[in-house]
Amino acid sequence: MPRRTLLGLLLCLWGTGIAAQDLGDIQVHGFVTQGFLFSSHNNYLTMQSSRGDFEWTQGVISLSDPLNDNLRVGMQLHMYEMGQLGEPGVDLDWVSGDYKVNDQFGFRAGKVKIPCGLFNDSQDVDALFLWILLPQGMYPVDNWDFDLALLGGEIYGGLNLGKRGGRVQYRGYLGQSRLESDGGYILQLADAGLTFPSPPAGRDFGGDVRWRTPWDGLTVGVSPQSQALDGTGPQGSLHMAPNLMMAYYAEWKKGKWYLAAEYWRTPLNLVLTMGGTVVPVPLDPRSWYPMVSYRATKKLQVGSYYSHYVNKAAETSLPANYSKDWVVSGRYDFNQYFYGKLEGHFLHGTALGYYTGTNPDGLKPNSNMLAARLGFTF
Amino acid sequence: MSISGNDVDVLIVVNKEVGVSEISSAQLRDIFIGAQSRLSDGSRAVPVILKGGAVHEVFLRKHVGDSPGEFRTRWLKAVFTGQGAMPKEFTSEGAALDYVAATPGAIGYVSRVNGADSVKVLNVSP
Repeated sequence: MPRRTLLGLLLCLWGTGIAAQDLGDIQVHGFVTQGFLFSSHNNYLTMQSSRGDFEWTQGVISLSDPLNDNLRVGMQLHMYEMGQLGEPGVDLDWVSGDYKVNDQFGFRAGKVKIPCGLFNDSQDVDALFLWILLPQGMYPVDNWDFDLALLGGEIYGGLNLGKRGGRVQYRGYLGQSRLESDGGYILQLADAGLTFPSPPAGRDFGGDVRWRTPWDGLTVGVSPQSQALDGTGPQGSLHMAPNLMMAYYAEWKKGKWYLAAEYWRTPLNLVLTMGGTVVPVPLDPRSWYPMVSYRATKKLQVGSYYSHYVNKAAETSLPANYSKDWVVSGRYDFNQYFYGKLEGHFLHGTALGYYTGTNPDGLKPNSNMLAARLGFTF
Repeated sequence: MSISGNDVDVLIVVNKEVGVSEISSAQLRDIFIGAQSRLSDGSRAVPVILKGGAVHEVFLRKHVGDSPGEFRTRWLKAVFTGQGAMPKEFTSEGAALDYVAATPGAIGYVSRVNGADSVKVLNVSP
């Protein structure tokens, strides 16, 4: 059982003294998390959450080696299991060669993370966040497979604009994204009667420009993205034409306070063809959130956010087309390596995170949830 | 007797081969957050950090604007997204000084420097 294996790893790390391993210039880092979810109604994220479910485990090992001043290679192995999603096996989270010409220009090639909004490329690194679940309208935890990384490459760099101008950083990427057979989109398509022997894939390109303003602690940015997707199975096919999606964001950090907000518009031209019938799927999601957090002590951080998602291409008064989530969260760092989190969700609407297979009797429009997570990182 | 963070002075030290004697506070911050990898003379900058302690805390607060936890989180993000590697880390100032003295482009921080230490102390301009 993967959970037992990971718990064994945790005990080994704890017993031997946890530290990042620096083998000469090769760096080895990693983290392991174990979560729990309980919901008052409905089963969330393919877990049996209405009964309380521990089937929520993640482990990562990262290796990086600077071959010379300009060239670095690295890879990250990833194991993830959440209800029916993910699998006990290990896959490649990212693997890349990174050539940095100078501070203004560099490029990476391989399987690279996709920058979009404030958190997309880091949303699977639990140790970075106060939150157990980030706003699900932008960062759906059940669809990491498609959203997080692509096969291809990216360019990156930054430019100092002087004391009065701040600093601009950019990233631009091009490659192919594909759905994973153990991911949420594939499960939703299977619920709709479509299966794929070879997971749908398509061209993905976009970028991110963020401006660290001269005003202390304020960063603003924008991330355009275009994704396409095609796949064919025995029951029919899926076609998603390329379309421009935009994410706008701002964050402000001052002392013990952190504030952030984002607005995403992600219209999709999705068409399913099943048994000769063409079924257009109307999707024009608009998502936004404001969040605030406060570091009460060196070890304790608390915060709250409101996440709003609505599909404007459908009847917006129906719970199936919106998701509005009030969240309160706390994180306690026991030491540099070991932390615990507790989070409450007051969720209205059923547009995100619910699956027919784990809710065969239908869905209640509202649900409250309690999430907990323990993590080690080194 | 305990030393509070406010009582600690921090000196910015570089390898003696580095051809600058001054660094701006913005440059210093950018080097330690991974946004800049060159000093103003064009030489490669290799940031060196302490694992903890009052000197580490004062340096981060005064020159980076982070708490130790925030600084670590910033670098973990770079590590786990494939965008960077952690700076070289030492548990003692002596070990950090030895590394800075031996490594071209190395830049670090300590509370004191002896005449025998083969490093250069940088002035930090606003």
